[in-house]
Amino acid sequence: MIQPILITAGKLISTLSKVLGRGNGSTWPGHIALSTNPTFIHQILKKNPHLKIILVIGTNGKTTTSKMIATILKNTNKTVIQNTSGANLLNGIASTLLLHASITGKIKAGYAIFEVDENAVPGVLAQITPFAIVVLNLFRDQLDRYGELDSIVKKWNDAFVSLPTTTHLILNADDPLIAYGGHNTKTTTVYYGLAEKDMHQKALAHGADSIYCPRCSTKLTYKHISYAHLGVWKCPNCKLQRPDPTYTFTNVPLPLTGTYNKYNAYAAMSLARAIGLRQDVITTSLKTMPPAFGRQETLSLDGKQVQLFLAKNPTSFNQSLETITTQKAKHVLFVLNDRIPDGRDVSWIWDIALEEYLYAFQSVTLSGDRVYDMAVRIHYAQTAKQPTPKITVEPDLTKAISQALTDTPQDETLFILPTYSAMLDVRKILTGKKIL
Amino acid sequence: MTAHTLTIGWLYPDLMSIYGDRGNIIVLQKRAEWRGIKTTIVPISLDTKPTTLTTCDLLLMGGAQDRQQTIVATDLAKKKDVLKQMIEEGTPGLYICGGYQFLGTYYIEADGTQIEQLGLLDFYTKHPGDQAKRYIGNMAFETATFTGKNTTYVGFENHGGRTYLGKHLTPLGTVFHGSGNNGEDNGEGLLYKHSIGTYCHGPLLPKNPEIADWLIQKALEKKYHQEITLSPLDDTLAYTAREKVLAKLGK
Repeated sequence: MIQPILITAGKLISTLSKVLGRGNGSTWPGHIALSTNPTFIHQILKKNPHLKIILVIGTNGKTTTSKMIATILKNTNKTVIQNTSGANLLNGIASTLLLHASITGKIKAGYAIFEVDENAVPGVLAQITPFAIVVLNLFRDQLDRYGELDSIVKKWNDAFVSLPTTTHLILNADDPLIAYGGHNTKTTTVYYGLAEKDMHQKALAHGADSIYCPRCSTKLTYKHISYAHLGVWKCPNCKLQRPDPTYTFTNVPLPLTGTYNKYNAYAAMSLARAIGLRQDVITTSLKTMPPAFGRQETLSLDGKQVQLFLAKNPTSFNQSLETITTQKAKHVLFVLNDRIPDGRDVSWIWDIALEEYLYAFQSVTLSGDRVYDMAVRIHYAQTAKQPTPKITVEPDLTKAISQALTDTPQDETLFILPTYSAMLDVRKILTGKKIL
Repeated sequence: MTAHTLTIGWLYPDLMSIYGDRGNIIVLQKRAEWRGIKTTIVPISLDTKPTTLTTCDLLLMGGAQDRQQTIVATDLAKKKDVLKQMIEEGTPGLYICGGYQFLGTYYIEADGTQIEQLGLLDFYTKHPGDQAKRYIGNMAFETATFTGKNTTYVGFENHGGRTYLGKHLTPLGTVFHGSGNNGEDNGEGLLYKHSIGTYCHGPLLPKNPEIADWLIQKALEKKYHQEITLSPLDDTLAYTAREKVLAKLGK
């Protein structure tokens, strides 16, 4: 039974927390709803059997992919509700449902897209039978919080097995651990992956995670590699291999650059195709999509362009470095924090391939709570062979941004690579307002 | 000083190198090269012959996920005798987290299953059960082993297992923030001859250059049978980074 009072109270709490400036009200109402009624989500969904829920999970790309899916659906006149990117636990989902419900618990929207934290997946699937799950990738990320990849994927698989045939499971064929996630499910499964001609990496990067067979633990062989441990893989022992992608996408113009965004787009488009949308409609929808905040988002300050590339773990940092290098980046600012959303352990910066990219830059400014850890990392990335870029170590973020902008000539772009909490801080300084 | 060379054996770089443990290799290599010591990194992995190990002057093994450790355990058994001899002869080595636990006699899993380890040194590790607290966080320990000037070192620990040293073994240092080996006796890691076992990721060596230099020095002294003095390097950034961690820990 959904109590109207619970919904009214939740909405009131959300409004109050916004007015009082305590967070954005995106998790509190759900938190209170769930503590008053632990089956709140299950019950509100029972009242709304028309609501199709799409979950987006994986280490990197959740926010961008969710935005792509929402853009496509909205372009085909579907109504969509979404959780905000930081609110990706059960309480964030409960809040989103609550805030979009009428007093009697009715939700008008046809679709709900929820990005879900890696650890929250089993708990969410215990309460929700989704219309679709889009699974992106698994990379080492915040091991202090998430633990090891194998244990995460094991929990996911255990939850996937009980999903019905009506659930669409959209899996990344190029990520061995993810592709194997569909092996014993009853779901309607679709695979996506890059075309071989779009895979350009010559060797596995250091720190490539899942390069041993998920079934028999033999080292995999790769015919092509796109990045990290993603590619056309095969097990020489048990012959498990990368599934063929269900759909092929040729000459589709994409709104964001970078190999990682190609995967995000292919995931979103595969879902759209799986639910019967036409490719030309999908292509038109995506073409002009603006980036999600902090993900290749462009801002300007003092007449100079600033572009933000979220860099929150080794793979996302490497992909950001690769992408800005193809854009001829000369001036960069790295901001390393170790707050709870970033992970407390900054060891991961030693898995970044900084040595490969550092010398393309003219100025490198460093900031963040762990600025000296990053300074030590850069110190050891230098070689005598090439001239070192100008390096500035500035713990104060406002001063660091100002210094980096001073180092960036008038018609050039400053590329900022921040961790998650650092990205919020940078945006706050650049736009003069808080966003979360 | 005539041109010295240093060969670093990196045990299982593709399997036992989670948590940025590669940083230790980068630091050893750079600090040697900045002093004109030519270094070679030899990856020791599955199917590498045990005799390849003996070409190495310094060894390093990092931590890993459970599945990777299972793969390594089978292979490491074949290299056990060579590794034991090298450790006993004083070949310097840095063994981190899972790599450290391997050197002991056994590991008792959360469900009570006892897994044989290499048995090279007299210590064991026990996981106290699924409900027990995992030791996660910045940590600091003290030791006077590496230089007279500094006795304080930092790292980041992340382990469920508790390690208990046999009575003839000495820890690497005394923990004054964090948990270290077992959260009970204030010991962190293990120092045996020139081999270091530790729970410190971070990685250990970038913010603790004294330990890196000690490993390089001991490796060269053993190789060239002479006393080695390494020329000083500018470690201001590393010291500042370390002080910031200590300040964060409230010391």
